[in-house]
Amino acid sequence: MIIARNLALRKLCIPELVIPTGSAALIGPNGSGKTTFLRILAGVLSPEKGFVSINGRPPGELRIGFVNEYPDRNLLFSRVLDEIAAPLRFTRAPCDEISRKVKLASERAGLSHLTNRRIHTLSGGEKTLVALLAATIHAPGLLILDEFDSHLDDQSLEAAEQVISASGAASVLRCTQNMDVASRSGTLVALFGGKVRASGNPGEVFSTLSGTCYVPFGWRDE
Amino acid sequence: MKLILDRIRVERGEWHCSAEGTFLPGIHLITGRVGSGKTTLAGIMAGVMDPSSGEILREGISSCMLCQQYPEYHVTGSTLAKEAESYGIVAKNALETAGLPGRGDDDPFSLSRGELRRFQIACLSLRDWDLIVFDEPFSALDCQGKQKESQRISALSSRIVVVFTHEQRYLPKTDYLWEMREGVLNYLGTVPEAIPFWDTAPVHVRMLLENGIIPANLTEEDIREGLCRMRG
Repeated sequence: MIIARNLALRKLCIPELVIPTGSAALIGPNGSGKTTFLRILAGVLSPEKGFVSINGRPPGELRIGFVNEYPDRNLLFSRVLDEIAAPLRFTRAPCDEISRKVKLASERAGLSHLTNRRIHTLSGGEKTLVALLAATIHAPGLLILDEFDSHLDDQSLEAAEQVISASGAASVLRCTQNMDVASRSGTLVALFGGKVRASGNPGEVFSTLSGTCYVPFGWRDE
Repeated sequence: MKLILDRIRVERGEWHCSAEGTFLPGIHLITGRVGSGKTTLAGIMAGVMDPSSGEILREGISSCMLCQQYPEYHVTGSTLAKEAESYGIVAKNALETAGLPGRGDDDPFSLSRGELRRFQIACLSLRDWDLIVFDEPFSALDCQGKQKESQRISALSSRIVVVFTHEQRYLPKTDYLWEMREGVLNYLGTVPEAIPFWDTAPVHVRMLLENGIIPANLTEEDIREGLCRMRG
């Protein structure tokens, strides 16, 4: 369970928010504070006031997988294989275990043909998938995805969803502008102007956003 | 005015893509799988990359702009005002068009990625280009931004406008449909006639086709109208 209390940073202001364990999506306009909130949860940013906790612990005490909205900012190494293997190498995992996990993860994502490629030759979508593999290969407790889907076609998104499911992360919190994707999450949080306008299951949240473009086609009376 | 791709081929190790076709004034939509060569082709069309072989001819095209996939790649100014001026436009106009009035002194990287995308499209749409190539123009935009930018792109149809995108819902009013298949650019035809032959059609378009409905075009209104027909 994610808890934010009296949280403030720049325009972000969240007096109280509880996100149950499981899948959750953050939706809202550009500049509404979604990325700021995700980065606080990832431990990349510190709030000016208040705190967040994940299963009762601060972000720094948890293994967190994070995919940045800027694909190039996720990548540290020049070869795909090294990028995917890096989180395991950092923990000095045995080489055969690293090779086995990288092979399995690459196959699952349909990226086996890319493992020896130079990262700079990849497309934007491929870079995003590589970043997702690197974020999930070390079995994170919380997986944070900041608009990772904006560079993916729907078949690649399906493959990415399988990678996410197989990651074993107890909680997945994503920010997306694809409301069909958001509607498949257990919990939605709508953030407007730095404040939580609504949170709950998709039906509850979409009903408060009725008449706006934040409601997917299938959820409207058309 | 036309853009001609004459037996274009790009090879990088085992990877390759190829393209052939003529682009007349109007809105051209190009879709395709991740890694199929869309960004490479966008760069070649805009003249910022060279193919391994083949020729690109720009007949009657005197100005060209590429809207890159990553808005951050465009940034050269230390403030939004300087960034707008680098396009040769009045900063105030760009800021107002992007919905960012009064923020001329802000660092471009202080914006959210969606705001930066909106600002970048505003800057390049305030000048007149014969050829504009948009590489994923809707990524990072919120739904209101996507609605607005797809309408802005639709209004450019007197020029040659090429849009590469994965966007599923907010598409411009499209004249010509193209698709990357197995590394080859295929011309599917004019819209709406070509829609049934579109392998990578967005999910709601596929839903309409499965129910025997061909939408009049690809804008959100066209899809909504099709869904209404489908539901009787």
